[in-house]
Amino acid sequence: MHISDGILSAPTLAVGFVGTVALAAVTMRKLDMEDIPKISVITAVFFVASLIKIPIGATSIHLILNGMVGVVLGWRAFPAIMLGLILQAILFGHGGITVIGVNAVMLGGGALLGFMVWQLRHRFQIKKRELVFAALAGATSVFSSGIILALALLTTGEAFWATAYYVLAAHVPIILIEAAVVGSSAVFLTKVKPEILAGQKDNPTSSS
Amino acid sequence: MALDIDRYAHVDSSIQSWDPRLKIAALGFFVLSVAILKTLPMAISALIAAVIFHRISKLPRHFVMHGMMAAILFLLPFFIILPFTYPTQNQTELVEFSFGWEGFRLACLIFIKAIAIILTSFTIFGSSRFDVSMIALQRLKCPKMLTQMLLFTYRYTYTFLDDMKRMQTSMFARGFVPRANLITLKTYGNFVGTLLVRSFERTERIYHAMLSKGYQGEFHTLVTFKINRKDWLKFCLVVIVVVSLLSGEIFSGFTPAEKGWY
Repeated sequence: MHISDGILSAPTLAVGFVGTVALAAVTMRKLDMEDIPKISVITAVFFVASLIKIPIGATSIHLILNGMVGVVLGWRAFPAIMLGLILQAILFGHGGITVIGVNAVMLGGGALLGFMVWQLRHRFQIKKRELVFAALAGATSVFSSGIILALALLTTGEAFWATAYYVLAAHVPIILIEAAVVGSSAVFLTKVKPEILAGQKDNPTSSS
Repeated sequence: MALDIDRYAHVDSSIQSWDPRLKIAALGFFVLSVAILKTLPMAISALIAAVIFHRISKLPRHFVMHGMMAAILFLLPFFIILPFTYPTQNQTELVEFSFGWEGFRLACLIFIKAIAIILTSFTIFGSSRFDVSMIALQRLKCPKMLTQMLLFTYRYTYTFLDDMKRMQTSMFARGFVPRANLITLKTYGNFVGTLLVRSFERTERIYHAMLSKGYQGEFHTLVTFKINRKDWLKFCLVVIVVVSLLSGEIFSGFTPAEKGWY
């Protein structure tokens, strides 16, 4: 999910770039050399995984997985998503160079919120909390990205208000799908390789 | 790999021989100025300029068409949504719906601008090797960390893409059929998890190998850049195009696309 070149107004694009630079400055400050290959790997994986198509009726949608990036990378999710978007714009012409800022705030911001939701699992002692909170993180990320996208369209002009409404409506099934995929993915990783997940209490090295 | 952006970087042209730093700076400037255009005549001029840049670069047409198709599919809905939802008074009644020409013109503007921008980004990054483009970006004061990560991700993406295709083949061979149900979603959840673990463990080994060879967060390269007078001349030409586009936008009295065709 991203917005394409040529749609948004110059002020909206500018706000996107300013927001991206600010978020990138905050989230990249703590990075060290060891993070460079790690973030690159995970960005590449999600880049590839987002090509998976899920059939719905006659059509199909592709996974977004920004919540999963948050669950795996924590705060480092923001540079990872920004990276993915830059590559996507350069390699495939998807999205576009001028909208990297808006898209990064939209998807990366969603990922950061997803990570915050994911961290809440430490406060609750319930069964299957990985499943519950990862699913919530997946849903939160897509939901908040949808809201930011709608806001970007709303601020661009009255002409796009109806479009913003359709965009929001289209997000409802995506939220459910992402919740299911991110939830089961996190359960899988908890069993197989828990140190890969962000913010694990028993493994301080992988937390960020 | 068929998707490599720099698979035609060897094609000799005056865009290819242009110093990558000046190329990225000049055409990047062009792209940004196209994004802020509001009138149809200027957007069309920008598209013509973008097509000319692409023709000079001699990059094959099918190479850009692939990326273009995705963008066109994304943009087509605007031709349906905008004309029928644009808030306006003077509408033409068209089969019960009210068709607003303002919305249609806006959709045209968006479409033309997007095509011009995408075409130009293919011209920029298709005409030199990806690592050279990244080094050029780094010289243009793009953070080293970012260009490093871009290079890594770029290389890994194609490796993992092959990995994913193999895993999918084995899934389908075992009788998996994706449907709109919970089992499909759960399977894909585990699929993403597996892909993560496999890629992570594989690249951990690569990283250790790099560390043992003295990797310290940057690559050293034999690529050197040299700017000559021709490079500056090309730079100035593009800047002239940009300036005339922007002054045409401001001083020529064309009306924004929402208000009129010209």
